[in-house]
Amino acid sequence: MTIASLPSAEAAISLEGVSRQFDGLWAVRDLTMDVPPGSILGLIGPSGSGKTTTIRMLTGTLMPTAGTLRVLGQEPSSFSIRDRERIAYMPQSFSLYPDLTAHENVGFVAALYGFSWFGREKRIKRALGMVDMWDKRNRMARNLSGGEQRRLDLACAIVHEPSVLFVDEPTAGLDPMLRQSIWQELRAMRDEGRTMLITTQYVGEADYCDNVALLADGELVTLAPPEGLRRSVFGGDVIHVEADRAVEPGVLVGVAEVTSVRQPAPHQLEVVVDDAGAASPRIAEALKAAGIGVQLLQEYQPSFDEVFTQLVSRQREANGNAANATGNGNGNRKEQTPDA
Amino acid sequence: MRDVWRSLVRVTSFLGKELRETARRPGILATLVLGPFLVMLLFGLGYTGVRKPFSTQIVLPANSELPNEPDFYEGLAPGRVDVVEVSTDPQAAEQRLRDRAVDLVVVVPANASEQLRQGKQAEIVVAWNQVDPIYDQLAGLAVSTMVSAINTEIIKQVAAEGIDIAETEMGPEITNVSPELIAQPTTAKTTNVAPSSASVLNFFAPAVLALVIQHLAVTLSALSMVRERLSGQMDLFRVAPVSAIEVLSGKYLAYALLSLFATAAVGAAMIYLLNVPLISGFLLPIGIILLLTFAGLGIGILISLVADSERMAVQLAMLVLVASVFFSGFVLPVEDFIGPVQAVSYVLPVTHAIALLQDSMLRGQLFEPWMLLALAGIGLGLYFLSLFRLSALLRGEGRQSRRRRLVPIFGSRQPSPSE
Repeated sequence: MTIASLPSAEAAISLEGVSRQFDGLWAVRDLTMDVPPGSILGLIGPSGSGKTTTIRMLTGTLMPTAGTLRVLGQEPSSFSIRDRERIAYMPQSFSLYPDLTAHENVGFVAALYGFSWFGREKRIKRALGMVDMWDKRNRMARNLSGGEQRRLDLACAIVHEPSVLFVDEPTAGLDPMLRQSIWQELRAMRDEGRTMLITTQYVGEADYCDNVALLADGELVTLAPPEGLRRSVFGGDVIHVEADRAVEPGVLVGVAEVTSVRQPAPHQLEVVVDDAGAASPRIAEALKAAGIGVQLLQEYQPSFDEVFTQLVSRQREANGNAANATGNGNGNRKEQTPDA
Repeated sequence: MRDVWRSLVRVTSFLGKELRETARRPGILATLVLGPFLVMLLFGLGYTGVRKPFSTQIVLPANSELPNEPDFYEGLAPGRVDVVEVSTDPQAAEQRLRDRAVDLVVVVPANASEQLRQGKQAEIVVAWNQVDPIYDQLAGLAVSTMVSAINTEIIKQVAAEGIDIAETEMGPEITNVSPELIAQPTTAKTTNVAPSSASVLNFFAPAVLALVIQHLAVTLSALSMVRERLSGQMDLFRVAPVSAIEVLSGKYLAYALLSLFATAAVGAAMIYLLNVPLISGFLLPIGIILLLTFAGLGIGILISLVADSERMAVQLAMLVLVASVFFSGFVLPVEDFIGPVQAVSYVLPVTHAIALLQDSMLRGQLFEPWMLLALAGIGLGLYFLSLFRLSALLRGEGRQSRRRRLVPIFGSRQPSPSE
């Protein structure tokens, strides 16, 4: 499935028709998207949806079966030393050395990027400061909490001040407070002009991203800004109406800007409109004209979980219909990809 | 120049990291230094090299003229037999042998002197009860010595009778030839021209040192890459601008420093506490030790690059140790093995190191200098195998040939289009 790229003059990360098979099964299929410089793209999807496979292809660890990838204008498989110095990768699990202190771990990674002992102290201080870990710099990594270890991973990823960061599940297994704190740090880095591709299983974290790519079964379900994601489910803004008696959806026929009306209960309507602000007074007037008292009329904000569920269901339904039409089924999909 | 400097920084990052991690585990440091030292000390102080004499029963004929004091027969093979009884009942003696109450039974024939006088060879029956092939051979040697001494005694008795007859018939002038001279006309005056004394400690100390060095190097490095491969650190290396040469160089340097530190402690104890000779001086043994450490680290790092778990790495390291004990000449001479198995011996770095260290330390010169080249060759071979394997691991399937990435270390770097 190909979805129109986000408008961007020169994408920092770009995928075009990228697919990857493992043993004949598709882990990622026909992925096309661009990430503008200085933005966060959230790659959201359930476990095994192809998120880590996508990151591995973008970091040059895996080759795509088909399609082209570019990071900072380069094919990942032919990154030069200079290219590698400009990117960073934070793996899914804690991957640092438990017997080294937080400071030593960051120092080790800084040295991997060629910063000598004389030049790296400022960078270490800045990286640890950004993730609020400077005070814990002398603690052994093994003695840090799970959240602190993830932040240390993040400090290691940014110590060489990369232009592009690939961050794999930075908040997996963390409590909501820590997740929020890590997202604040990621957004602060974005504000410094860095481009980030971040994977997460938490659909609610879509709100922290500039753009969200929804993956399911290795396919791109949708690519949009978080608000656009909501609109893409219902086809526009949703206004929730509660009347003082049973109401027929037909009363709103002819009201300008109303796209569709749903009736979840006899006294309730869910009205899809182009612009909730402009349509709300007109809906209220139409109901009043029909002699119906309005008890509640407000814009409905569906949760991202709901949005995600709707979109994935539609995608699977569409795939099922397509498969039935061709008689192929969808058995080619890999159930558990290596990144799961 | 910037690339060379950054490359050096990357190498030192691994060096520093490995040293720090080891320093954080005092148990490992203690094992590294104290372990080999205690092995050397126990070996030096505890091993005598003297085998227990065989507990022996002599069975004489009832009317024998031979002496029946145990001391007499012990004197025939000094240090080899401990005569616990001289008896006349061969069946009882055989039963004691089967019960393992004695190690050897020697049955002297009833009419040995008579048969000799009649120009016939008498038969001494000797039996032992051994399943250990080494003791089986030693028992044969002890018996051979003792039978030779008994023969001499019999000849002496017959010769004495002959001289008595000759004196009676030819006069006393014949007596200048003694029966002892007739029975044992030659003696050996022995000299060992080796430049150092042939003590058990001196001979085995260089071999133990070589084995300890190789084992240290292998065990230290065998886990070095396993953890990094299993815990995701390899993913960081794949993305970072670090090459296989830089990773390997850092690891080799770190573990070489640790190994040599431990070796220096063990070597000093060996020379200054146990007084093992060092005839060649320090330079040659240090060179041999450096080559052995290089090769040992090669084995360990290669293990860490092929093992799929820490347990497998430890098992492979132990397998190398067992093979080294059996095939290196440490216990059994390499020449005792058939050709193809000797090839296995010579693949092991420690085989060459034992021969080279014994020659240099105990004789002051190398009799098989080709072994230095063999040791260096094994080390280089293992290094390149490790480099090949690590390059493949770092490359994954997406990273292109490392050749481009190695170029900057040596000079002309290919600029990337993004610069």
